[in-house]
Amino acid sequence: MSALGHYIEEEGIATVAIALVRPQAERTRPPRALWVPFELGRPFGPPSDPAFQKGVILAALRLLEAEAGPVLLADFPEDDPRETPDPRWHPPIERPHPNPPPQAGEGMGGGFLADALIAEIAALAAPYERSCRERGRTTVGLSGLSPAAAAEYVAAWLRGIPPASPVPDMSPVLSLRFAVDDLKAYALEAAIAGGARRSSRQLGDWLWNETATGAAIRELRRLLVDSADDRAKLIVTMFLVPALRAMPGG
Amino acid sequence: MRLEKLPAAQAERYASLDCPDFATTPWVKGPPLAERRVAIVSSAGLVVRGERPFRGREADYRVIPGATRPDQLLCSHISINFDRTGFQEDWNVVFPLDRLNELAAEGMIGSVAATHYSFMGATDPREMEGAARDVAARLKQDRVDAVLLSPV
Repeated sequence: MSALGHYIEEEGIATVAIALVRPQAERTRPPRALWVPFELGRPFGPPSDPAFQKGVILAALRLLEAEAGPVLLADFPEDDPRETPDPRWHPPIERPHPNPPPQAGEGMGGGFLADALIAEIAALAAPYERSCRERGRTTVGLSGLSPAAAAEYVAAWLRGIPPASPVPDMSPVLSLRFAVDDLKAYALEAAIAGGARRSSRQLGDWLWNETATGAAIRELRRLLVDSADDRAKLIVTMFLVPALRAMPGG
Repeated sequence: MRLEKLPAAQAERYASLDCPDFATTPWVKGPPLAERRVAIVSSAGLVVRGERPFRGREADYRVIPGATRPDQLLCSHISINFDRTGFQEDWNVVFPLDRLNELAAEGMIGSVAATHYSFMGATDPREMEGAARDVAARLKQDRVDAVLLSPV
């Protein structure tokens, strides 16, 4: 973002950048930037906290009125109050999959996880629908498939039968990436129904360590990581399982 | 982000990411905040539902009309190494259009732009220069004089 600030301001419009990674802003030196201590993905802080978000926005915009510049890098002083797990939060479904594989990727085979994934996506429908009603929206939709169809598409890959792409101008592996994106969003949105102020870590621990969806995506990565197709290899290595979750014990 | 909270290797990778080196720094002054017209330019790979998602490290941008509703906005950023649950719960975490509209209604800012923009932040910013200057021209047509640049 800091680089875009240079280009846009050179064209005559004042800019202020939110900076999540302070060393990058220090090196790129945009005209004005506000470093925020929040985790990646939350440039304006906690969700559902309009007063806090407004504080961040105003702290940034007020740098536009500062006389001291160019190169103004300020720090936002408050941490995200939603970083702490909320013990009131509970998973959207109990006992997510019947026989959790203790070591997915150690010969479980894709078939079991394919079936477990399809069953879990069906079981999550009620909490997902409730969550959509509460928020008035969903972020599922990149693949163009319904959640059930996305699960079937991913399941076919897990069974070792890569299907044709369901979207005419997308390669099969790109459709796989978007289908996985949608299934992650679907499961996580099902998990944010209700009023608990859960942390992102709490939700991530559930998705990656307790669900068939997480286990299936990990298995997909394991099955395809040695693909002879370089693009498929890149996508499954980089764009399915977050780096921290791909580490042992992640 | 507090890098000290990350595993050392990951923190080092973020801290040492390649960045463009700019010889000069522009500095544009303007009216008080209460008279400014503000636009959001995001690098979260945002797209309006139905439009082509970003598929890789693309250098173009997407247009987000000010009338876009929360249920129409998707995040197609290719990185999976950032939290999405904040955006899933409340789009203002990434795209604070409601907050800007409230600030305009309260008289804290002058007005909110008719159109906002999104890039794919994983792209080398040097490749985005042409598109960024194109966005600047469109912002000027909209009389925008303050841009809130948001990463993800």
